[in-house]
This record gives sequence, C-alpha cells and structure tokens, in this order.
Amino acid sequence: MAAAIDGVFPATLQELVKKSKVLVVGAGGIGCEVLKNLVLSGFTDIEIIDLDTIDLSNLNRQFLFHREHVGKSKARVARESALSFNPDAKITAYHDSVTSTDYGVNFFKKFDLVLSALDNRAARNHVNRMCLNADVPLIESGTAGYNGQVELIKRGLTQCYECTPKDKQRSFPGCTIRNTPSEPIHCIVWAKHLFNQLFGESLEDEDISPDAADPDAKEKDGADGDGEPKDDEKENEKGEESKEEKEAKEDTANGNVVRINTRQWAKDCNYDAGKLFNKFFNEDITYLLRMSNLWKTRKAPVPVQWDTLLPEGSSGDQKDVAKQHHKVWSIEECAQVFANSLKELSATFLKLEGDDTLAWDKDDQPAMDFVAACANVRSHIFDIERKSRFEIKSMAGNIIPAIATTNAITAGISVMRAFKVLEAKWEQCKAVYARLRPNARNHFLVPDASLPGPNPNCYVCASDPAITLKIDTKRMHIKELRDEVLVKTLNMLNPDVTVQSTGSILISSEEGETECNEGKLLSELNIVDGVILKCDDFFQNYELSIIISHFDAERDENLFEVVADASQLKPKDEEQKKDTVESKEDEQKTAVKRSANGEGDSKDDGPSTSKRSRPTEVVEEDDDDCLVIEEDEDQADVVVVATDKLSVQSPPKSGAKRKPSEVIEDEDITEILDSSDDEPAGPTKCKRSRLDESSSNPVEVISID
Amino acid sequence: MVVDMDTNETAVELTEAENELYDRQIRLWGLESQKRLRTAKILIAGLCGLGAEITKNIILSGVNSVKLLDDKNVTEEDFCSQFLAPRESLNSNRAEASLARARALNPMVDISADREPLQEKASEFFSQFDVVVVNGATNEELLRIDSICRDLGVKFIATDVWGTFGFYFASLQKHSYVEDVIKHKVVSNADKKKKYETVSIPTQRDVDYPGYSAWLEFDITAPSYLRKLKRNGPGVLLLSVLQKFRTAHQRDPSYKTRDADLELLRGIRDELLPNSLLSDEALGLIFAQISPAVAVVGGVVAQEVIKVVTKVEAPHRNLFVFDPETCAGYVETIEAK
Repeated sequence: MAAAIDGVFPATLQELVKKSKVLVVGAGGIGCEVLKNLVLSGFTDIEIIDLDTIDLSNLNRQFLFHREHVGKSKARVARESALSFNPDAKITAYHDSVTSTDYGVNFFKKFDLVLSALDNRAARNHVNRMCLNADVPLIESGTAGYNGQVELIKRGLTQCYECTPKDKQRSFPGCTIRNTPSEPIHCIVWAKHLFNQLFGESLEDEDISPDAADPDAKEKDGADGDGEPKDDEKENEKGEESKEEKEAKEDTANGNVVRINTRQWAKDCNYDAGKLFNKFFNEDITYLLRMSNLWKTRKAPVPVQWDTLLPEGSSGDQKDVAKQHHKVWSIEECAQVFANSLKELSATFLKLEGDDTLAWDKDDQPAMDFVAACANVRSHIFDIERKSRFEIKSMAGNIIPAIATTNAITAGISVMRAFKVLEAKWEQCKAVYARLRPNARNHFLVPDASLPGPNPNCYVCASDPAITLKIDTKRMHIKELRDEVLVKTLNMLNPDVTVQSTGSILISSEEGETECNEGKLLSELNIVDGVILKCDDFFQNYELSIIISHFDAERDENLFEVVADASQLKPKDEEQKKDTVESKEDEQKTAVKRSANGEGDSKDDGPSTSKRSRPTEVVEEDDDDCLVIEEDEDQADVVVVATDKLSVQSPPKSGAKRKPSEVIEDEDITEILDSSDDEPAGPTKCKRSRLDESSSNPVEVISID
Repeated sequence: MVVDMDTNETAVELTEAENELYDRQIRLWGLESQKRLRTAKILIAGLCGLGAEITKNIILSGVNSVKLLDDKNVTEEDFCSQFLAPRESLNSNRAEASLARARALNPMVDISADREPLQEKASEFFSQFDVVVVNGATNEELLRIDSICRDLGVKFIATDVWGTFGFYFASLQKHSYVEDVIKHKVVSNADKKKKYETVSIPTQRDVDYPGYSAWLEFDITAPSYLRKLKRNGPGVLLLSVLQKFRTAHQRDPSYKTRDADLELLRGIRDELLPNSLLSDEALGLIFAQISPAVAVVGGVVAQEVIKVVTKVEAPHRNLFVFDPETCAGYVETIEAK
C-alpha cells in the first residue's frame, strides 16, 4: 500500500490516494486487476459491484478467483482476495446489477471517481449517464484479445461514452438465414433458431422454414414462371407428412410458410431423430429447390437423407464424437451428434413444467452440440465450409477472447489515469489504446493526441438533446417504439413519453397506465411526420426530444433509424449508389489524417443508430471484458515497416506486394461486440451504426446480399 | 500458405480440463500455442512487485513450470505491489513467501522456489529454462547472465520498474516466429458490387536480437538520438540515470532517503545530459514499485515471454520503455555496434 508509506508518492498524491472514495463497476478480468492495483496503491475506501458469478473459463485471467470459488459472487470473492493483499483497506462488495434502481444518482455522488470495467454496452451507457448526472469523473476501460483501451469521461470536459456512435451488431436478412445462406454464420444463426423453435422461447423473427416471399425468388422479367411452387405441388411434396402437420401449415399474408407449431409436431413425432432430420434437411430443402429463381445465380442446395447417413441400427458407439471439439465432423458424425443431442434436449424439455422453455447456452453441452451439428449439416447442404464445434461455439456464443496480460496492462493504465484524475491534471488524461503490434512510431501503448471535447450533437450529454427518428409510423407500434427504440436502442430504463404539442401521455413509466396504447400503430395515434415527442427517464434523469420523420420501409429494411443530427438525413438512394470500394478508399484517406492511434471518432459529428426489425441478429453473449475497440490504422503499415527493419530471411511466399488499389490492408474499424446477457435488470441489446462523414455516407448502409 | 515450423514436443493433446481453463486464450492464440506453452520452463529471478506480476501472468497462461529465484527477504516496500507475499511473511525469503499464492493461481503449473543468490548461479542452472527473466540486477550481473544464456541458446529478458517507470530489454538471439499478415481479397461477383474478404496469411520470419551489451554501448547523448528523445519523451534517459545510480551506489533510490537520493539523481542527470527534458517531477515518481505501473510492465513482459514460447507474433525489438506521464509504451531498436 504505497500511500501508507511516507516518501513513496509525492506528498500531495499520497494524501489524495488515502482520502479518495472510489467505485469499481465490474469484477471481471479488468475489475480484478483494477481492484488489486487500487488496494496496493493505498486506496482504502473502495466499493465494487458485479452481478456475475465465477465461471471456470474466467480463471485464466481473473486471478482473484480460484477453482473453489466457481459459482460464487465475483464482487464478494474479489473483495476477500483483495483484502488479503491489504487488510487495512475498506471494501464494500455488491453482488448486484449496477442498473438496479438501488444505485441512483446519489449513490454515484458519494464517489470521487468511478472506474468502470464492464463487458456490455448497455451497462456502460447506463454508468455513463449516471456519472454525467452525478458529475463524477469516470474512467472507462475495455479489452478484447490483445486490444485494450482506457478513456476518461468527465461532464462538460470530454466526450461521453455515447458521444460517438458504436458499431452495431452484425445482422442478417431473414431470407438469407432461411433460404440462401452463404457463410457458416448464416447456418449457425439458423441452427440457434431451430433450437429455439423446438425447445426455446420461440420468437416470431426466428422462423427456420423456407421463406416463400423472398423477393429474390420472384420472376424478375415479370413472366409468371416457376418462382414459387404451386400449392398443389406443396401438398404433394409434403404428402408423407402427418395430417396434423399439414393442418398446421398455411400460407400467411406475407408469404411465410408457417409451421404454426413445429414444436408440437416434433413432440408428436416423439422427437424421432430421422423424422426431424428429414424434415429440416431434406423436405424443406427440396421445397427451397422449387423456388428455382433463387438458384439461377447461386449454387443450389443438395438435400440430405437420414437413412443414407445413419441406416437403421448403425448408431451406437460414436458418443465421443461430440467431445472432439477441434475436429471438423463428417456429415455422418453430425447426424449422430444431432440424434444424441436431440435425445438429451428433448428429455430435459419434456421434464419442464407448464410453458417453461430451455434457454440456449453455449456452455450447455447438448445445446451446443445440437447447434454445431445442425449448422454443419446445413453448411454441407449449401456447400459452405463446415467448422469445428470449437469454432462454432465462438461464433454462436460471440465469445470474445480474453487474456491475463491485456487485462493487466489495461487495468494498470486505468489506475495510472486515476492518479491524474485525483490530481485534476485533466489534460494528461488522454485515452490510451493497447495494441498487439507497434504503430509506425513504434508505440504499442498509444495515448490519444488530444482529449476530445463533448459532441454538441450528442443525444445524451448535450444540454438539450434531440434526435430525429426516421420511422415507419404505419408499421411500428407504440410498444415497439418503447421496447426497440427507447429501451434497446436509446438505452432508457423506463421512459415516460408525451406528445409535445398536446401534452398527452403516450407511454407512461407507471405500469398499466398507457397499456391501451401499446398495440396501436404510431400513425393511429397521430404520431406522424413532424411530431415531436418528449421522452423522460426519471431514474437516469435523462430527457430527450424525438422529432418524428416518417418513411415507408421496404421489406427487410429497418423500420426505424435514429439520427442524432438532422443534417445527416439524406435520400436513401444516394447512399446505396455508393460503391463499397469508393467508401473504403475514402475511409483510408481519412485514416491518414487521423491521429496516430487510429481513433477516428472525432470525425463524426453525431451518433446514429439503427435497428433492423426483420433481419436476424446475432445475439452476443459472453462474460468477457470488452467494449468496442477501434482498430489501429497503423497496424497494416507496421507489418510492412517491420519487414523492412528486421532481417527477414524467409519472406512470405505469398509475396504479394502491397498494391493499394487492389489490396486494402486494414479496415477502419474492427467490430467487436460486447455482451448483454449480464444485466437482466437493464436494457439489453443496442445497435449502433457507424457513420463516417468523410465517406458522405451519413448513415451506414447495411449491406444486404 | 502452410508454414513449416518445428512442431516437435507439441504432439500431446490438451486434456479436457486444460481446454476448459484456457478456452478464452486458445480462442486468441490457438491450440498449437497453448501446447507450446505447456512445455515451457521459465525462470523469474527477483520476486519484487514486478517479479510477482510477471509470475502471475505466466502462471495463468499455463506454462509447464516456473522457478522463483530470490535471496532477498520481504520488506515493507514490497507491499506496494508484491501481492504474492502475504503480510505475515515480512522478513522471510521473498521467493518462498510467494509460493503458496503463486500455486493457487493455477494448480496445473509446477512452481518452485530457490533462495540462492543469482550471482552464485552458473551455466548449468540456466540451461534448465526456455526463458530467463531477471529484474533488480546490476548491469554487470545482467551482462554475465546474458552471455551465459546466449551460449546456451536460452532467451533472456532484463526488466525493472522504479516507481511508475519501467523498461525491459529482450536478448532473444535468433528467433523464428509466425505472424498473420492480414490482406483483403477482392471477391467480385459479376453482377454485384465489389466485396472484400479478409484473409490472414501465416508468414514465418527470422529475426536476430543483439545481446544486452548493445544497450550498455548505446550512446543516448549522440545527436542523432537526441531528436528521438525529444519526440518520445525522456524514458530512455531516465533509464540511463537510474541504472547509473544502481551501479554507483549498489542499490536503488529509497523513499527512506527520498530528498538525498533525489539530489543524487539530479546530479547524475545533469552530468549525463544538461538541460534535458527529464523533469524533477518525473524523478519524484521513481520510488518503490507502484502497482498499476508494475501491472503494465509486468503485463507487457509476460506477453513477450508468451510470444517467445509460442513463436507466434513478433517480440518487440528490443528495448521497451513505459512512460508514466503519458502512459505511452514504445519500443526502441538498439542495434549491436
């Protein structure tokens, strides 16, 4: 405890460390390291909060936890371990969600400094708002793999966490998932949906059956061709199916072939592996093949048949296949794993009471086996590369790799910055990025060149924040406005919404008060183009004006889009015409102008968010320590520089010389998703799209193939 | 492109327990790296705060064994960052005092302590290790160990933290590694817009790292280097001043004699490079070892050990400096004369 020993620190810093009260939010990879640094530096008044419990896969880096602590509260065990380093410290641990209403503005006001070490964006947004409100400096940190970053957020002085747009989650159009997968991830997402259809909380957006209304399947030249199978053909094709199932199917208005109850059908089949397998991997594929327009420019799928893979009585001694996590299973092995995991899952499912369902979890062995097997069978059908269970787990669970060293470095920088914050040396609190490879100046721990001030258009920290909401008022309901826009996208907890001109209450935070509005369309309640809504989240002490801008959304298009700066509203056509290459090159040019560490957010003048309502999202989930990390633009150059500098004796055989016109060596941004499953009390997913002024793409276009 | 690296000793598959424990890092550096780590034998000499921090990170990564070598006893100063030695171990041997907590970090790693003085360790002792990390030693001692290690083909890293300032020097001799070179491949589809696909191409490189003497012979007052010093900050100069203090007084500056030692440090600085950028303020932060700075330097050094063992990614070549004022961490390339 450095501050307890006279002469170690300069006297002023020693006093500041001794008397300051600090809050650590998160006791994961960075949180453990931060807590250790704090107690050893001589901080004696520390509070730490984390709602998570300890998992075996944490132990490779969360060094305050050992095997015997698995399953226990992270905050509490971290406190005990840290106290053994310095028994004189006073540490309060909360095993709780920081978004809980128990931790209001007055709670945050107690602290001289908040250090956040969170792993998901929703909680980060919330802590950002609380610290802005309480006017407490916040040191925000995150890591992903070899990358780390630390930044100071202080009201009125710096950017806040929400001043710059964050990358959104990757999402896929429904018909790509259901009809025309072309990458392993499409099949993995489909397999997770299949799991949910059979055992999970079945969501409307997660249909796994062929989508007959796929625009790609329509005859483009207008001739009435064989774009869709005729009804009678459909009946024929499904002739072998049970009667109940036929009844369960119908063509809905939007063209979806709906199994009204796939779940019931599977149950009625007694979860017969062969029947289920043939339905999903043979009959549905045969149906897709009849949508022949889909396959004019694509390779057609090849249905597989259960009997040819696993003839009656051939199964048995291959139970260990599923344990070979690093091997790419053969299609026969996939079928075997499918059968075994189906058996286990259905047995568990049937034991559930009432309407209870299973929740898909990457760490649940049969659930993961099932998804790995189904994804690979589907990949095989569509001639997509198959993956090992290990790789599929990464993608399906959105696992962010994490190592002890990056966490140690990042947490070290975080507490180094804490000293400067206590000394009020704000100018020395520039953001710092940790990277694997040095940049062109040979820095790999890279401080930002400046301390960017608040974004005047920020919809969180600006004095009178307002956003424009492009929204299809004829298709969005009030409930969706609250859940999808206000809570999930704008991260409010429990908003009140009134119409500015009339003062009438549209959405109330009081339960039941505005329930009658929920099912209505915006347009039905006269929420149309030009209307201004006043939103107020009492707990976050956050008020926001929303200017409604109506647009007619296309099929598979976002039903809404949040635009922080009205000048960003431009006709959609213009954006789409832009060639990807062009904008890529623009980004590169801009990159050169940016500061050494590659932080380009200062270029943006307002956050923009969007949410696709139809397409599927990859729901991220993990327990790891990360946030959006901006990739270092210098990295690509460094590879080249390093090559020149070091005595390279075996140059790469690929030998490709860098031709900027052909090879773009580095992407502007590497998208790293954070996780959301850790904060049940708080808002969940949040999707952001990045905008880049320089590319004259005011709002990022999500490429749809 | 398939790179032909020596893949001996890594044939043994990881156990299920290892796969589970190391899952998040295997997803970063791959299975092959994890297998290589499992065979690595590491020496950490000097169990000060920095030694403890490096030890922690190396043990968590899942190496085969770690030997903790130290003949010194735990002092009050150690409690500023040496979290492996419990409070009650004051005045007992630092390496031995660190054993229990080090073992608790990862029961799969073989950890032992040795209380003999580093100076009495001869060539055969160092031959047991793949990587030797030494801190707290004089330049004379570092030169001796470096020369032994170079004869044996053992990788050597010298490192130190004073207060919030730190460095390491890597003497890795001839080192081969593989790094992924990221390219964007154009995937054009006749009737569609251009798309890019990232492909990473594993590429083998061989690099020579000079010995520790290169640093001792390096002239920081050369006009050619002064410009760089101005740009990167005074880190390398501070390192020189602190090492000169250690050589002259056979100890480090102490908080107990803070004012007198600061006077001595200013003297060394002014003699070395008058009117330099190295402020009195920066000199005031070099006492004991401050935990967050130790975490940064210890994290960086451990990552270098991991790179060396796994032969994946380029170890920094070859002098690392952490500037506590800005939190910049950078690399100076020191060539042999």
